[in-house]
Amino acid sequence: MEILSAIIGISSITVGLAVLIIIAEKTLNDYGECEIDINEGQESLKVTGGSMVLSTLSNNKIFVPSACGGKATCGLCKLVIREGAGPILPTEEPYLSPDEIQKGVRLCCQVKVKRNLKLMIPEELFNIKEFKARVEKIEDLTHDIKGVRFKLIDPNQIKFKAGQYMQLHTKPYNKVKDTVYRAYSISSSPSDEGYLELIIRLVPGGICTTYVHEHLKEGDEVTLSGPYGDFYLRGNCNELVFVAGGSGLAPIRSLVLDILEKKINKRMVFFFGALSKKDLYYVEEFREIEAKHENFKFIPALSKPVPEDEWKGETGLITDVLAKHIPDASSKEAYLCGSPGMINACIKVFEDKGFKEEVIFYDKFS
Amino acid sequence: MRQSPEMSRIQSNMQNGSLSSEGFLGTDTRNLADILHEDHVVVKSLGISHQKIAQRMQYFTQKGKEGLGRPILVDEVFEVSVEDFKGAIPCPFSDNFNAGKQNTKVFNIKKNKSIAWTDLNIHMIEAHGFYEGKGAIFRVDPNEIFEILW
Repeated sequence: MEILSAIIGISSITVGLAVLIIIAEKTLNDYGECEIDINEGQESLKVTGGSMVLSTLSNNKIFVPSACGGKATCGLCKLVIREGAGPILPTEEPYLSPDEIQKGVRLCCQVKVKRNLKLMIPEELFNIKEFKARVEKIEDLTHDIKGVRFKLIDPNQIKFKAGQYMQLHTKPYNKVKDTVYRAYSISSSPSDEGYLELIIRLVPGGICTTYVHEHLKEGDEVTLSGPYGDFYLRGNCNELVFVAGGSGLAPIRSLVLDILEKKINKRMVFFFGALSKKDLYYVEEFREIEAKHENFKFIPALSKPVPEDEWKGETGLITDVLAKHIPDASSKEAYLCGSPGMINACIKVFEDKGFKEEVIFYDKFS
Repeated sequence: MRQSPEMSRIQSNMQNGSLSSEGFLGTDTRNLADILHEDHVVVKSLGISHQKIAQRMQYFTQKGKEGLGRPILVDEVFEVSVEDFKGAIPCPFSDNFNAGKQNTKVFNIKKNKSIAWTDLNIHMIEAHGFYEGKGAIFRVDPNEIFEILW
């Protein structure tokens, strides 16, 4: 009897505590209606508090760049929040310089809307839109890279600068319960206004790339947002040097197509590094461009060709190939896209050749 | 072994579909405290520490990066390649550590055996003594890594 009383007593206390926690959660986490003032009165949003600034803005069709989907791993979603953000969180610290902290810059995926906020949003972010699109074509470009062509449905056209990127939103699959989104560079030309092409390499264990490689089918409808990014042509030079590795070819292809279509008079040389022939793609397309345009030169280079490749082109590390073909920095700009290791090594080569920091533009996989 | 609610919360971060499509536990049905304890016992029996293992892994990753994706020979015995992928992944232990998606493969030529790991593996071993669950795609078995890297 005593044991039974003890069990009933403990159970009652447990249930009581659980009820208290639920009530506390509902009352303490109820931030009510909050006002978000944008750009000192330019726009004002009335929102229900409790969500992160990034998702709150996105729900109101204001899309701040984020490559990691709000997990504080990319550091892209920086905004100046002048009031109401609370103290800086440890998750934000690695991404903020002392100068940025001084200016009130915050990672808006980490700041919760708990009270009225005053924040500043750069004008160009207001041009970012959410698009409904249909997968028109999925193509195996290599053993682990797919090219995906989307037809835009609503809105049915996009304006972007060659070199910019989009965010692709996944749908739940298998045990992935939430929608996630990741950033991928646009590989098509801006003139192809009704379509977007992305190049997506499978990341082992990656949530979004696994979705694209194993679950996405032609005819599926998806959500994209963009365009984002400041990797685009400056062109204050006579010659453009492009360097890419793996899926880093995407923004370079868009840039080359755009420059040729607009008949921008620049000499161009494109170095595309890969391990062996099975990692190369779009070679025929770039060879055709090379044949048609005498101011464009394409130099694919393999760092580890296998005998069956019967490779007669450039071999060796992309850095060595670059050093061999680029004599100096005179009137040149460099545009690089690929892994941080490759980009850092190539920047060193460019600097050794006399390129100033301000003429080297890059888009690192991060 | 009983585990704290905090440990259970971390274990839920490790399920597939949470931070990665495959998760960190594979087919392992043990709780996280047991996984950590059993690997710790193995590492102790080898006469080394998690930090020593992580340092050795980091050594090969740093060397391998010089190859820019191409395998390179390290110390005349090891063929090492480092491959970069787009993106970063947070540590499931919620310690504010984010790892770039970089995978290292080491082939021990003398022993004809190879092993692979991610940058996140190095951090999880060094900071948490976590080698991932059995059957996980990036499980780094302590016995295996000791045999191949030393």
